[in-house]
Amino acid sequence: MTESRNDEESTAKKHHNYGIQTPGTKGIAGTKRYAMAIDLRKCIGCMSCVVACKSEFGTPLGVWRTWVKVADKGHYPNTQRVFMPRLCNHCDYPICVRNCPTQATFKHKDGFVLQRYNRCIGCRTCVVACPYNARHLVPAKRTDKNLPHSVVDKCTFCIHRVKRGMLPACVQACVGGARIFGDLNDPDSEVAKLVSKEPVTVLKPELGTSPSVFYIGGDWEIMDEPHSYENRTSQLKEEFNDFKRNHEGDAFGDIVEGESTMYHVSKNMKDFIASIPHKASDVIDAFKRLLFK
Amino acid sequence: MTDFDRREFMKLSAAAAVAASCPGLVTAMELELGGKDFHQIRTFHARDRKPYLCTMCPYFDGGFTYAEGGEVLKAEGNPHHIASRGKFCAKGLASFFGASDPDRILTPLKRVGARGDGQWQQISWDEAIAEVAGRVQAAMDNSGRDSVYLNEGAFKDGGSVRFMDTIGSRSVIRSRFPSISNAAKQAALEKILGVDFTYPDLEHTKYVLNFGANIMETALPLAQRLTDGIVNNRLKLVTFDVRLSNTAGRSDEWIPVFPGSDGIVALAMANVIMQNGLADTKFINRWTNYSSNKLARHLSKFTPVMAEQASGVMAADIQRIAIEFAKTKPATVFSQNGVSYHQGGIDGEAACLLLSIITGNIDNEGGHCLPRRFDIAALQPRPKKTGSAARQLNHTFPFEVKDGKHKVQVLFNHMSNPAYSSPASSVWREVLKDEQLVPYIVDFTPFMSETSELADIILPDVVGIERDDVASSPTALLPWATMTVPGVKVRGQAQDVRMTFKHIVEAIDADGKRGMKKYWAFTSAKDWVKQEVEGTKGLEQSYKKLKSKGVFPNYGKIDPDTRQIIDEGKPVKGEYATFKKSGFATASGKIEILPPAWTINPRHAAIKPDEFVLSTFKVAYQTLSLTSNLKYLAELWHANPLWINKQTARRLGIRDGELVRVISDVGYMVTKAWLTQGIHPQVLGISTSVGRTSYGRVAQADPEMRSSFPQQGQQEDEDINHNLWWRDSGTNPNDIIPVSIDPASGVQAWNDTVVTIAPAEADDTYGDIKVDNAKHFAIYKKMMGLA
Amino acid sequence: MNESVITYNVFHHVAWGTPISIYFWLVGASAGSFVISSFGWVFGIKRYKPLALTASLQAIILLMIVPVLLIWDLGKPVRFIYLMLPGYWHSTGPMAWGSLLIFSYPVSMIVYTYFVLKNNLFWAKAFGIVAIVLALSTHWYTGVVMELNPGRYMNHTALAPILFLTGAFISGIGLLILILWVQNMIVDVKKRIEWPLIEEMAQYMMYGIVFDCFLLFLEFMQTLYGNRSEMISHELLLGVFRFPYLWLEIILGLLIPLFILVSPLKKQKYGVILASFLVAIGVYGMRVWWVMGGQYMQTFY
Ligand SMILES: Nc1nc2c(c(=O)[nH]1)N[C@H]1C(S)=C(S)[C@@H](COP(=O)(O)OP(=O)(O)OC[C@H]3O[C@@H](n4cnc5c(=O)[nH]c(N)nc54)[C@H](O)[C@@H]3O)O[C@H]1N2
Ligand SMILES: Nc1nc2c(c(=O)[nH]1)N[C@H]1C(S)=C(S)[C@@H](COP(=O)(O)OP(=O)(O)OC[C@H]3O[C@@H](n4cnc5c(=O)[nH]c(N)nc54)[C@H](O)[C@@H]3O)O[C@H]1N2
Ligand code: SF4
Ligand code: SF4
Ligand code: SF4
Ligand code: SF4
Ligand code: SF4
Ligand SMILES: [Mo]
Repeated sequence: MTESRNDEESTAKKHHNYGIQTPGTKGIAGTKRYAMAIDLRKCIGCMSCVVACKSEFGTPLGVWRTWVKVADKGHYPNTQRVFMPRLCNHCDYPICVRNCPTQATFKHKDGFVLQRYNRCIGCRTCVVACPYNARHLVPAKRTDKNLPHSVVDKCTFCIHRVKRGMLPACVQACVGGARIFGDLNDPDSEVAKLVSKEPVTVLKPELGTSPSVFYIGGDWEIMDEPHSYENRTSQLKEEFNDFKRNHEGDAFGDIVEGESTMYHVSKNMKDFIASIPHKASDVIDAFKRLLFK
Repeated sequence: MTDFDRREFMKLSAAAAVAASCPGLVTAMELELGGKDFHQIRTFHARDRKPYLCTMCPYFDGGFTYAEGGEVLKAEGNPHHIASRGKFCAKGLASFFGASDPDRILTPLKRVGARGDGQWQQISWDEAIAEVAGRVQAAMDNSGRDSVYLNEGAFKDGGSVRFMDTIGSRSVIRSRFPSISNAAKQAALEKILGVDFTYPDLEHTKYVLNFGANIMETALPLAQRLTDGIVNNRLKLVTFDVRLSNTAGRSDEWIPVFPGSDGIVALAMANVIMQNGLADTKFINRWTNYSSNKLARHLSKFTPVMAEQASGVMAADIQRIAIEFAKTKPATVFSQNGVSYHQGGIDGEAACLLLSIITGNIDNEGGHCLPRRFDIAALQPRPKKTGSAARQLNHTFPFEVKDGKHKVQVLFNHMSNPAYSSPASSVWREVLKDEQLVPYIVDFTPFMSETSELADIILPDVVGIERDDVASSPTALLPWATMTVPGVKVRGQAQDVRMTFKHIVEAIDADGKRGMKKYWAFTSAKDWVKQEVEGTKGLEQSYKKLKSKGVFPNYGKIDPDTRQIIDEGKPVKGEYATFKKSGFATASGKIEILPPAWTINPRHAAIKPDEFVLSTFKVAYQTLSLTSNLKYLAELWHANPLWINKQTARRLGIRDGELVRVISDVGYMVTKAWLTQGIHPQVLGISTSVGRTSYGRVAQADPEMRSSFPQQGQQEDEDINHNLWWRDSGTNPNDIIPVSIDPASGVQAWNDTVVTIAPAEADDTYGDIKVDNAKHFAIYKKMMGLA
Repeated sequence: MNESVITYNVFHHVAWGTPISIYFWLVGASAGSFVISSFGWVFGIKRYKPLALTASLQAIILLMIVPVLLIWDLGKPVRFIYLMLPGYWHSTGPMAWGSLLIFSYPVSMIVYTYFVLKNNLFWAKAFGIVAIVLALSTHWYTGVVMELNPGRYMNHTALAPILFLTGAFISGIGLLILILWVQNMIVDVKKRIEWPLIEEMAQYMMYGIVFDCFLLFLEFMQTLYGNRSEMISHELLLGVFRFPYLWLEIILGLLIPLFILVSPLKKQKYGVILASFLVAIGVYGMRVWWVMGGQYMQTFY
């Protein structure tokens, strides 16, 4: 285990060339700046991207690196449906990176914002900091126990594929052809052409994070945060509560709508205490590794 | 470039591909679309790649599976495949999980205890084969060959029909065609064009009239061409649907229609087109059995005003859209179950097709194209076909059994789940449960379905990624074939049905004297596929290529940006107007237009303001049953609340999320109301595919549950055990849907059911279903009197 | 207006929950009581000297619980050490500073307490000054941690650290009064803390409450100015977080104690005790909604 962790670290160093807060490289000749354009005119809500991403990474249930929001707009019979794929924006000014106390997350010089799982302590500061909900704590329990767990993860722009000359898994799978990926600094790339030709929007531009995910044909209402909360179907509200009740997070502060906050505060504490045994076994594991390897 | 066998293929086959010069379109590729796969962290070696053909729906997209450490960890589209162009839909992408499904059946199981009690015993394959063969033999000897029945639901039968032909039984129930799948469309196409499939050239068209097809959710190879057309050609998409499907929601115009009225709308449009002199009279006169004058006369009685009365679509809109459609060249029409699944579905389909015909948009660039595919040949020698005379309909079968019309001794079930997916599924369950009526049930399945629960013996089949297979489907402008080479060892003792049938035949006809064994002379499923490929016209030399590349022919490289197939720097195009060379595949060689007709369903004509038509539909993230226990799909879609128009709900005092009863002629179900602006005021909508009572923890949203059968090496998935967060697993509408058969095509009129809605009563709980099977019978009897 | 309804979305967890809000409360109460402890030895207000020991012991004990909560709340508890390793330490992360503070503050406090016990005025004062700076910083940083989340409307305000410090001050005093009251019941008469002193502390607490109310007013002024944040405020104040926010923080934690402390009730022993109790738990209400409420709305984005 220790060995592969060192491997991981050195591979990361070699390939990723990390500087913690690499300055934004948009428009600087001779540098790469990977970006994604999402052409919402082409998005058909098939969620192939979601499933492709989940199977690429064996992502556990209840957490997502990418997802698609859906909204219905208008009055019968003038009703339309809008889709809104979401993922990490690989911000040029990533708040998550600034906030991380252990330099576990960093901005790669080519534009990726990445995680070093072996450094991450799972404090979730970055999760709180990310304005886009792009991050999640990987549950302690997952199918393949050799994959990282109890650390924070998020979309990596599939650097493991891109560095081998392949498109990210979600782009590969995108049936509508709505996701376009490439180097924004290369004027010949499809993504650069689209971003310069078409009117594009980014999420929460007012925050100054300078996202690398550009939307063509974005719809402000579905992009608006309070709107998403306010105008939900009651089915979604119920699912939201189901999620909060049943998804095992370690001591998360989940409040179920319509139930007393204080009840959940105590329940969170109970979960926290319940999480002690498996964490203790982690501690024991760590010592074992230290002593016997 | 030497990889591409387009030119080589042109020499071999009639279906030619021409490279049109279209300079400037080809851009330099930055990154590859796929074809390799790596571990997310341990990226040292590329994973082991094998061709894979997705059998989750009849489009058979070609792709790859990637294995590491003996387990498939990824499936994706094959970037060199001309139809899938590297794309799989959500179902295809998740399909490989079926292999490692922790609730999968891995050994033959024999029922102990009463039928449906869920008590099983593991038995060996030898015991199982001996028992089944013994039963079949006894049935043949004592009650005649026809007492052995097969309920066949697969897109690819896996040898089951061959088995029936071998033993000489005519009792084949085709559960998809012509029963509960889109048979009306097939029937219409067969009569009019002499084909069973068409291909709308959405990539090159400028205008799409879509009647009751949910292209973006159910026809993904077409959907990707549609989005290209939307952006590259700025095509206009007009969708007629009773509710806001994803396709309707992304259309330029969504036109809600009253259920079953698409036919009259299409006829009125055709009439408008003829009247305005916008029809391609030359084409009609040359290529159809009608003269344009005669057709115009026949159509003249279908006025837009009449259509407005029946459909609720404004006459002015009908007029406008008809003229737009006829003036825009090229244009195409696509229609599916929304039109098919009604009484008179065949007329509706014919009417929609007529619009393409009269505007001359048949087999032209951007029009309504004839299918291009390889017809995979059967293995030789092949048993004599027992003929289709006694082809049984799936939906009437249980009634007929009960009526004593069928004397069943053995019932084989393959890739079909009538206890869940058929209309009056409660009757199916009643009949299957009755050992007097159906003494012996054998199910070939990897998963415990609602039907398997009622079987006497379950023979575990392999799943898609473990199965050797070859297929071709008309989803592109050029024909292709694609193949699966299993990427992993078969799990447990699961066995390909073809081998199982072979063993059964060999047990019945051990010495070959009965003349059965010779039809099962292949050595393995691989051998079967090899023989199929080598016997198929156009594919004779392709086995090796198929095996390594997964697709044949390879027409060129697919540009990941423009998605065009490029060879020698030019886009490869398909050939059009093939009928000009050889005519149509009908008796006359011409298009045989059916006399324009439309009848209203009498029940709909008399519908009261507080009655509704119940419409059922598919969603992009599930198939009916194949995908039920796949965790990533169930996470996307697991609940199916009842769609109801907001205005209507307000009138009835129904609130969002409230429990309601949906009451049909046979009983009621209790479900949640989902208020939406996206449905016709007189329609209630409910999706299929969820509301399972079988399949396992994921499908039933119950992580605590464990399979009731002994499992070999049962594996726990921590992810499912701890992280499965949803608890609403939906309801199945099929119990309250009575049989309703369109006499002309045999199709179930799924979307005709008239229901009422009422607030739930005090002791109703979500998911309650109460139906009276006697009422199902009464309706069936009445219908047969009519039919 | 055109109707627009979200029909599908995925869900997220509120990443920081109860352990973090308890921790914020503990750090606050610790800092608050330490301030009182320092009155006598650092600022030379003689009459506060008798309190110092109890107050600083309280501060130490409260702070001892903190690492337990924090470390076990980490996904990888063993790796807490990374927070202080030079190769890992990250200067722009408030948490990185916070962890230094959380470990250095109790150390300085313990040294200070040692000298208080030894009655060594010079060193007690010297370490007292260090400790008081660290105490304030430790709590100030929890506000900063909340503040530096530009995406969380309700937390992203420069008032955050001041709000947190004010809360710390009043809850620290409140808790201290409760403890002194209990202590008075146990120890013998000579060692009892005189009631007027406690009343005086209650007076400080009242000033704190008034200031806190003022801050709250500033906050409301900003958030209720009629844009999207108004909707969020409403939802938090009157919806899901009504109990901790409206009832616990505002009504029970600020308004009722304020009423007690400006009315003749403040002369009543039990009035003061009640006010102290309410303030102490009221501030916990504030911690709960500040930590969770700020994230709550966004878990649906
Ligand atoms: N995701 C997914 N894809 C599939 C399948 C699957 O299970 N899941 N199954 C495959 C199979 S077997 C089939 S047969 C095809 C079916 O593919 P489709 O025909 O596209 O699917 P359906 O959902 O049956 O029906 C299409 C639409 O008809 C609408 N409709 C109902 N009544 C009417 C009406 O009176 N008029 C009009 N205009 N519309 C109406 C419904 O609202 C629905 O949106 O899909 C194939 N593809
Ligand atoms: N209300 C309503 N009902 C409908 C429809 C509708 O629109 N509305 N649509 C209808 C249509 S179009 C169709 S085509 C039918 C489809 O209905 P079904 O034929 O029931 O659906 P499938 O999803 O094909 O599932 C077939 C069975 O195969 C099993 N299976 C899965 N993988 C394998 C395998 O690898 N090998 C074997 N041997 N078995 C396997 C599954 O467990 C399942 O039991 O449903 C119909 N039902
Ligand atoms: S979207 Fe969030 S996680 Fe991604 S870089 Fe930006 S701040 Fe960080
Ligand atoms: S959870 Fe991990 S990546 Fe996020 S801030 Fe903490 S240490 Fe950094
Ligand atoms: S780029 Fe990779 S990690 Fe990010 S959403 Fe797409 S598939 Fe997932
Ligand atoms: S795969 Fe592409 S088209 Fe489908 S939902 Fe995702 S972004 Fe949209
Ligand atoms: S559309 Fe989806 S389910 Fe159908 S063949 Fe293609 S990948 Fe498979
Ligand atoms: Mo079907």
